[in-house]
Amino acid sequence: MTPSALAPVSPQKPRPAPRLVQPWIAADVSARRITDEVMHPLISRPGAAWLASFALAVLALAVGVASVAYEVATGVGVWGLNKTVGWAFDITNFVFWIGIGHAGTLISAILLLLRQQWRTSISRSAEAMTIFAVLCAAVFPLIHMGRPWLAFWVIPYPNSRGPLWVNFRSPLLWDVFAINTYLTISLVFWYLGMIPDFATLRDRTAAGSRRLVYSLLSFGWNGSARTWSRYETATTILAGLATPLVISVHTIVSMDFATSVLPGWHSTVFPPYFVAGAVFSGFGMVLTLLIITRTVMHLEHYISIRHLEVMAKVMLLTGSIVGLAYALEFFNAWYGGNVYERYAFVNRASGPYAWCFWIMVLCNVLAPQLLWIRRVRRSVAALFLLSIMVNIGMWFERFVIIVTSLHRSYLPSSWTMYRPTIIEVGTLVGSFGLFFTCFLAFIRVLPMIAMWEVKAVTGHASETTHE
Amino acid sequence: MANDLTFWKNRVHVETSREDLETNRADLETSRRDFLTRMGFVLAASALAGCSRGAVQKAIPFLIKPEETMPGVATWYASTCGACSAGCGLLVKTRDGRPIKIEGNTESPLSGGGTCASGQATVLSLYDAERLKGPTWLGVPVTWQDVDARIEERLRAAMAGRHNLVLLSGTIVSPSTRALIAEWKARVPTFRHVVYDAVSFSALRRATGACFAIDGLPHYRFDRATTIVGIGADFLGTWLSPVEFTRQYARRRRPDAAGVMSRHYQFEAGVSLTGTNADHRVPIAASQQGAVALAILRRIAIEAGVETGAEQVDGAIDEGAVASAAEDLWRHRGASLVVSGSQDTATQIVVHAINALLGNIGTTVDIESPSLQKQGDDRSLAQLVDEMERGDIHGLMLYGVNPAYDFPDAARFARGLESVALTISFADRLDETASLAHAVCPDHHFLEAWNDAEAVTASYSLAQPAIAPLLDTRAAQDSLLKWLGKEPDFYAYVREFWRSHIHPTDARGRTFDELWDHALHDGVYHRDVPAAKTPPFRPSRAFTAAWQSAAHEVGGRQRSSAAPAADRYELHLYETVAIRDGRHANNPWLQELPDPVTKITWGNYLVLAPSLARRLGVESGDVVRMGIPDAQIELPAYVQPGQSPGTVSIALGYGRQHAGKVAYGVGANAFPLVTSFDGERQYHRGGVVLQKAGRSEPLATTQAHHSMEGRPIVRTTTLSALLSEETEARPEAASLWADREGGPHRWGLAIDLNSCTGCSACVTACQAENNVPVVGRDEVLRGREMHWIRIDAYTGGSEDHPETLVQPMMCQHCQNAPCETVCPVAATTHSSDGLNQQVYNRCIGTRYCENNCPYKVRRFNWFRYAQNEAFDFNMNNPVGRMVLNPDVTVRSRGVMEKCSMCIQRVQDGKLLAKQEGRSVADGDIKTACQQVCPADSIVFGDLNDPESRVARMRAGQRHYLVLDEIGTKPNVGYLMKIKNRSEA
Repeated sequence: MTPSALAPVSPQKPRPAPRLVQPWIAADVSARRITDEVMHPLISRPGAAWLASFALAVLALAVGVASVAYEVATGVGVWGLNKTVGWAFDITNFVFWIGIGHAGTLISAILLLLRQQWRTSISRSAEAMTIFAVLCAAVFPLIHMGRPWLAFWVIPYPNSRGPLWVNFRSPLLWDVFAINTYLTISLVFWYLGMIPDFATLRDRTAAGSRRLVYSLLSFGWNGSARTWSRYETATTILAGLATPLVISVHTIVSMDFATSVLPGWHSTVFPPYFVAGAVFSGFGMVLTLLIITRTVMHLEHYISIRHLEVMAKVMLLTGSIVGLAYALEFFNAWYGGNVYERYAFVNRASGPYAWCFWIMVLCNVLAPQLLWIRRVRRSVAALFLLSIMVNIGMWFERFVIIVTSLHRSYLPSSWTMYRPTIIEVGTLVGSFGLFFTCFLAFIRVLPMIAMWEVKAVTGHASETTHE
Repeated sequence: MANDLTFWKNRVHVETSREDLETNRADLETSRRDFLTRMGFVLAASALAGCSRGAVQKAIPFLIKPEETMPGVATWYASTCGACSAGCGLLVKTRDGRPIKIEGNTESPLSGGGTCASGQATVLSLYDAERLKGPTWLGVPVTWQDVDARIEERLRAAMAGRHNLVLLSGTIVSPSTRALIAEWKARVPTFRHVVYDAVSFSALRRATGACFAIDGLPHYRFDRATTIVGIGADFLGTWLSPVEFTRQYARRRRPDAAGVMSRHYQFEAGVSLTGTNADHRVPIAASQQGAVALAILRRIAIEAGVETGAEQVDGAIDEGAVASAAEDLWRHRGASLVVSGSQDTATQIVVHAINALLGNIGTTVDIESPSLQKQGDDRSLAQLVDEMERGDIHGLMLYGVNPAYDFPDAARFARGLESVALTISFADRLDETASLAHAVCPDHHFLEAWNDAEAVTASYSLAQPAIAPLLDTRAAQDSLLKWLGKEPDFYAYVREFWRSHIHPTDARGRTFDELWDHALHDGVYHRDVPAAKTPPFRPSRAFTAAWQSAAHEVGGRQRSSAAPAADRYELHLYETVAIRDGRHANNPWLQELPDPVTKITWGNYLVLAPSLARRLGVESGDVVRMGIPDAQIELPAYVQPGQSPGTVSIALGYGRQHAGKVAYGVGANAFPLVTSFDGERQYHRGGVVLQKAGRSEPLATTQAHHSMEGRPIVRTTTLSALLSEETEARPEAASLWADREGGPHRWGLAIDLNSCTGCSACVTACQAENNVPVVGRDEVLRGREMHWIRIDAYTGGSEDHPETLVQPMMCQHCQNAPCETVCPVAATTHSSDGLNQQVYNRCIGTRYCENNCPYKVRRFNWFRYAQNEAFDFNMNNPVGRMVLNPDVTVRSRGVMEKCSMCIQRVQDGKLLAKQEGRSVADGDIKTACQQVCPADSIVFGDLNDPESRVARMRAGQRHYLVLDEIGTKPNVGYLMKIKNRSEA
């Protein structure tokens, strides 16, 4: 263990030790052991489980690439959209993936500001998940365009195309800015968080190209108190910058719908409802990923059952907010007395896509209520099942909002049905392929647990720090 | 290199040149010097070739500009429509020498400025890639000299042997052609002319002859009728002269002037376009037309104090509706009209009797100048087929007919054809009959030919070529002239006919050239019939006896056709507005035109009532096997409220095998189900067995949901409510926002839902004007038709007596357009003239505008529809693309499009006004949908000008905006639909 990777001395005034609270990592886990265990996947040969997962992910990605290539070459008509339903799988997937990303930012930024120590074990992978999810999300607005090769027209820059300029009144344009900002901040934040760990890796790696890469990535980190001090400041500032993004990105995404005239979309409840839903789905995905990872990579003592339980509580809270939002929408539709609005919701719950709606209610509202029970919260199997359900439910939520509102709007003469094609399913599979390919690569090339942060919250560290 | 440079003239020359080369092989030995010379040439040539530009594909066609044409400026020719025998007057728009659009001729006293959907689409038939490129003999392309020599030789032999020669044709409304045929008859004693119509009116013709002693059909005047009763006659859609009748009918559907609006009762089996417009529509079984006519006659006769001689018939007809109709008829006697589509002579005589007793003869039933349409005689065709079977016919010419497709026993006709020594078809393609003929001498398309027409006595119209023949075709009349040994110049023949037959009666004292030039310029000519002081029609004793016996006959027949077996149904065959009798089957615009009633495209189907569907356990799309003793047909079912419960309906005209690749495999042919009774073709029959086939076939419909869901989309009220309540004009909804600043104009449309019948001519007109692509059945099934204007049809009320409301829906050009705010690249914007504009080359295709459009009028190019093998319609072949309007962009894939309110026409009108130094006057600019409308329901104009027609309509009490409450402020408004209900 090199001194440079030791836990920093907090510049703030230390809090009194929470006597009755167990440390998040057992005291007998030494800093050296943490480094060894976290570094292990980076230097060892991949196991069969990883290889199989990676092959599967790449296969799914290949399906997606083929689907997208076919779609771009032939036309958006290879999807099942029509004159009435202009968006379906494409924007559903977009909102789904953007939502997934939110947990990462919440964990790394808001929980940092709130000094939640349990975030340390999961922050790195949650942030990685954010970036991969945003990448997956960004694909969809691009490929859903009729002429994706002209996508750069949404960027306002001085150009030679005469007086043409972007339309700042369009929520889609706000999306462009929101997503780009989000991706940039998330990347910077993620990278910044990894610098001390890169230094550790640099110091633990024999000279060679690998070491060179780590040296470059670690930006000359020397572990001095001054460095740590600057580092902490920068992280806090960035966390402060990223915090509003947790709210703003999904708020803006929700405005794609909320600012329209379509019954079922045109609603002021959308921004808070979408943010809660995003955090809800993000935690669902974090849980799914971490439960798999901790089991496969044997990281149970870093990502303990307590970590899982805390995340389950967040899910319970946000899931309940989402359930309340669903109820509010129905109340408003009834109370508002607008025939179009009323019909949109009657149709949602009893129309041809009612099965989607009820899957959504089951997965997002009813199932998470089981988390009131401590035994469920502490059961890995139950949490895994629930997290999968939340993922499914949240995908259906977006599908329900988009498709049921579009397929039967104002003029009944235009009412139609939407049926996805195999190409759209292939594209969805491909987005999961992209996500898991990135994630699986991530856990083998980058430290998936923030070593320096975890070391700071071990029982050992907290004892020494607080004495 | 000693050889002189020679050019091969043809293949033979190539062969001989090769031989020369072989013999002069010594010259081909290459010396070093020659090699270097050649290499030098190749180098220089390739360098030069590299400097040149690629071949210029789009050249301006005129190096030396013809004096009267201006590139980019349309030239208009007056002509006559050849889509059916109604012969509507046309103006043909040509650009750079090719016809691209047809409009109605406003000078025409019959059709006015309107046209129908199939008429509009005939301009595309001109560019049909399936047309024959020249004459054929036994299926092999030959030259005209060749085919003429063979035909003339055989004709001479036939004439010499005094063998029977027959010209089998459809109705010919051209007086010159009829004169030519008369000349044939005079010259060739064994020559006979047999006329038949695939959809026959021979009973009406026979009845008219029997009652009024005229050879023709009455010329009906719906504009003079205050009460109209239709019995199975779809006079607004397909019956006789729909454009003319729609124009007349619409004139009496304007409720704003008191006492003008007519009341319309319709008794029919299937739901027709006409039925959906009726104030009272009564479903009857197909066989009950006679019973209804008789019931009306009995009541009218009682009022008139005449003995009918027919007894009361107990039938399942709605006596209340009959009583109410009869009462209205009697109240408006002299200004009422009963028409029937029956193919039973006795029934038609009864209908004539009703009109006679009502005093309608001479007012609404004009027998002074009868209609010359539908001259077909079913009996003479039956007789001809018998003779053919016996081998008595030596030569048969087929002109404008396709009996191998539409003769009920087509196989028998084909067998008969085998015994004919010489069969000549004038068909423009190798259709079902032409492919069996010895010679095919393809006729011109009507836009390439000289012709004239007289669809109604004394109302003439001329047809002139708008383009030189595209292919090596020849007018059928030229062929007939040639074989008669005369100069094949039908133009001279028409002129000569007009000089000798029409000019002498011209009352205006013009020279013939003056008359001809005027008639050719105007397209139409009305012969001033000297006001013959014919006494008003008085029913003669013979007439009374005739109708009394007919009434007796009808009554007897109704009684004998007692209640049929419970599982036997009636079948009713009908024409669709688009395909008609099958002649337009290869026209992709018409195949994709949604049926005005069912909104189904690409194919026919079995229409059945909801109660019958429940009994059979079928839903729309389930295939039903329909059995009759001698045939079986399988078609998907379509459940239609308002359909008579005991009758199923099938459209004729589908199932064409040899019309071309567009028509191939679309629907099933229902002509084999046509029967015969008393010598007349019958389009209904009983004893039909229905059975579920156990599979389903989706129907390509453009509108899947027909209920208005209680939303105020098509507003409607009754005439009495409108007149009594002093309904105030609805003020437009208040807005929180300041009005959009505009320029000098604010273009808008006002659409009168009361006169709009839903005939869908505007849909095809828009398609032709704006280069709207055809997408095919599969894409329609996916909900991706591209029409910029659609006719929404909503059905409500009870299952048996539904209310149908139609509404043309296109871009509403909202002042606060939801589509404009959401486009990230501002590809859809608002013009200073109030138009919502779509900028195709700026569009990146996010479809957000489509989602946010409350009217769902935006259409996305899901694929590339032009020059794409997957969409093998007119835009995929160079001939078919000639119809494209050069003023309108062909959209690429991935962009959104929608109604532009014919921006090219608006621009044209503004430029013209500017050139002339004036402002645009009201009526200068007409959109394509407005111009085609036979009912004059669509009005375009400047909403900023309070005196414009559109602004005055907008200020009227019937005006409203669709979805006004969401604040889109559309520039397109609607006038409420009014039903003129009988209070009883």
